[in-house]
Amino acid sequence: MNRTVIGLNLKYFLNSIIGAVVGFICLFLPYASKDGQTISLITGAGHILAADNKPALSIIIIFLILFTVLSLALAVFNIIKTTVVGYKAWQCVQALSTAFWVFAMFSTKTILEGVGVYSNFLNRYLTFGYWIGLVAAFVTLIYIMKVTQTDRGYIALTIMSVIWMFPILWIVLTALREEPGYYVGYFFPKHLTLKNFAALFAEDSVIPFTKWWINTFIVAMFACVLNTFVILSTSFILSRTRFAGRKAFMNILMIIGLFPGFMSLIAVYNILKGLGINQSLVALIVVGVAGAAMGYHISKGFFDTIPKAIDEAAIIDGASRAQIFFHIILPLSKSIIVYQALGAFLGAWSDYIFPSMLFGDKQSSYTVAVGLYWLTDFRRIDAYYTQFAAGAVIVAIPIVILFVWLQRFYVEGLSGSVKG
Amino acid sequence: MNKNTISKISYVVCGAANAACGQILKGLIFLAIEISYILYMVLYGAEKLRDLATLGENVQGMAFNEALGIYEMTAGDNSMLILLSGVVTIVVTIAFILFWLFTISSGKEALRRAEEGKHNNNFIEDVKSLANNNIRFLFLSVPVVGLGVFTVMPLIYMILMAFTNYDSNHQPPGNLFNWVGIKNFITLLSTSDRLSSTFWPVLGWTLIWGFAATFTCYFGGMILAIIINSNGIKFKKVWRTIFVFTMAIPAFISLRVVATMLGEKGIFNVLLQQWGFTASSLPFLSNATWARFSVIIVNFWIGVPVTMLMVSGILMNIPGELYESAKIDGASPFMMFRKITFPYMWFVTTPYIISNLIGNFNNFNTIYFLTAGEPLTLDYYKGAGKTDLLVTWLYKLTKDSNDYNLAATIGIIIFVISAIFTLVSFSRSNALKNEEGFS
Repeated sequence: MNRTVIGLNLKYFLNSIIGAVVGFICLFLPYASKDGQTISLITGAGHILAADNKPALSIIIIFLILFTVLSLALAVFNIIKTTVVGYKAWQCVQALSTAFWVFAMFSTKTILEGVGVYSNFLNRYLTFGYWIGLVAAFVTLIYIMKVTQTDRGYIALTIMSVIWMFPILWIVLTALREEPGYYVGYFFPKHLTLKNFAALFAEDSVIPFTKWWINTFIVAMFACVLNTFVILSTSFILSRTRFAGRKAFMNILMIIGLFPGFMSLIAVYNILKGLGINQSLVALIVVGVAGAAMGYHISKGFFDTIPKAIDEAAIIDGASRAQIFFHIILPLSKSIIVYQALGAFLGAWSDYIFPSMLFGDKQSSYTVAVGLYWLTDFRRIDAYYTQFAAGAVIVAIPIVILFVWLQRFYVEGLSGSVKG
Repeated sequence: MNKNTISKISYVVCGAANAACGQILKGLIFLAIEISYILYMVLYGAEKLRDLATLGENVQGMAFNEALGIYEMTAGDNSMLILLSGVVTIVVTIAFILFWLFTISSGKEALRRAEEGKHNNNFIEDVKSLANNNIRFLFLSVPVVGLGVFTVMPLIYMILMAFTNYDSNHQPPGNLFNWVGIKNFITLLSTSDRLSSTFWPVLGWTLIWGFAATFTCYFGGMILAIIINSNGIKFKKVWRTIFVFTMAIPAFISLRVVATMLGEKGIFNVLLQQWGFTASSLPFLSNATWARFSVIIVNFWIGVPVTMLMVSGILMNIPGELYESAKIDGASPFMMFRKITFPYMWFVTTPYIISNLIGNFNNFNTIYFLTAGEPLTLDYYKGAGKTDLLVTWLYKLTKDSNDYNLAATIGIIIFVISAIFTLVSFSRSNALKNEEGFS
């Protein structure tokens, strides 16, 4: 076959045709076998059509057969007349067919038990007909994509996206679920409701979620402003000025950083007690600001890349160091300011160890991290699981929005940390 | 008076040299600080330092009060407070020594300038210089004081604790604890004690976990980034955002959620049974081996997007011509990855990998929120579980069993491990050398 069609890479033409044929043959091979009873997909479909009350998922087997046959039909069509449009259509059909072959793995038990072919079915009773068909479906899809010169990365990305989004989908669905309880035997809620969210903010709620949220917000706002300022000013000094003890200071910071931070929490707690600010949000803010300078690396690395000549010119013009910092360096460092502020803000929302130690049993002072963790304690998890999920969603939504919105700055800071 | 005499006096009387050169207010402030330090030492400090040697001698107990004819509770010494205030005194003293050195150099500078006939700043000019030449005093004051009080002081306190017997049997105020030298280290490292037979397996798992967690995420993130950034993929931003979702959700939430999903009755087990993959629940978090794989896989789920974002930034720096010429030479995508992408990435990201490795050795969140170190085992010292890292064990020792001395000892060992890896990193990268290059 030495035809050429613009936009297609016909080197893999034959492979894709063979794939489609193999997939079609697999419909007639043994699909599942248990206790001596063997069915193929076609006979399975016969059982489904004959059954009185079909499970809703039966549609998957039907579609599987439909798209596999359709794929073969389009293969034949493309043999007769090879066109870009024809191949693109075939690719779509084959993608759907592959998807249904995969779905079949997850739904066979429900379907075959539902129509009464087997009982106590397990996936290991699926036989070679199914597995060859599954592999053939993927291989065919890959060859078709090679012919249409589509990036095969889409397959990997689709599968990974599903896996990555699965827990997120679960928590959102749980937050919307009307039936309470931790253990439910199904994925999709039977009834949807916003009650869980309302319950969190209700006046008479057992869970002082509103309080937790406000606590965390206060701490996060302070952290956002104060920590960022401390980090930036420290980095400015370490990057733009030279003085005796500068290297020593940086080395001390590095050595301190190698100790696990919460090793000394007990002592910090005692010091805070001595100062009379334990069990209060002030303690959280103060300790955050006190330790902020430890994270100077990234912004110092960034400041190092701003040419020193700018400073020198400004000094000649009579600017003070403070003016250089506020009027020259900071305006040039928007991305790093956003990065640090975002980091400080997010840190306040997810910090758990220190607040949990600080507040102990004083629930009214909890931050959301401590509070939500407290809800997943085994004594409470069953009663509050849906509300925990609702709380998690409420906390996550603003952060996700912030994060997606400011992603660019985050990436800049992150790659800066590698280079710096 | 001549310059030498003044200079000598200023060693004893802080600020004398400055005052002699006209900086009277500055000299007085120096002197006031010196006097208050001496007063503090005479009134409290000396006593605190003396107590530090013994950590208290009077045990709390009942004593017979002859005047009233009854037994009375007598307050004993509180070793913990003695240690803490001793540390405070030490830190104050160190701070004072640094201050003293500073006053001397400041005095010498003032004398030198006076001799050369230059102008010495008066107090108002000094304050003004805080916004200019001396801006470091203004900007670094908060970090220095903050770190001193809330990091250095507690750290010294905990380091000293590693050399005491402050464990669950020696809890103040009821009991005293005492200095025991390096006994804790010996018990932990080299006896047939239960502690030692807990420590080594936990350390082993910490190292395995650190390497596994770092490298799975590193390669996973790199491959994902390469896929997303390849030319044929459209809607790059959408794909990236999908993965960034897991990263944007605070870790404690996603980890708690996944932990509940992996439970015996969690949704994973429910679905696996419904889908016909297994007939009974899988022990994702309750069997030691399963749990270890589970935490690595969940960490993969959380860590890959971070690496993906980071790698995306670096991938764009690789010169495109390299790929063009490789393509002309007929290299396969895998070949290009092996010969171009990977060597470049590896070179650029070595420091990142090592800091990531150290971060993972100390990855408290993932372990604590997922398994809390469980499953527990009878082979280990109380409270330690099969997925416990050194850090989570340390945390449990302080929070649950109050064995502060052991916790402190482990903390020091973690420090040593981290320090070794950091030194390796420094000797490999020339980041330190290059720093001056920018200035």
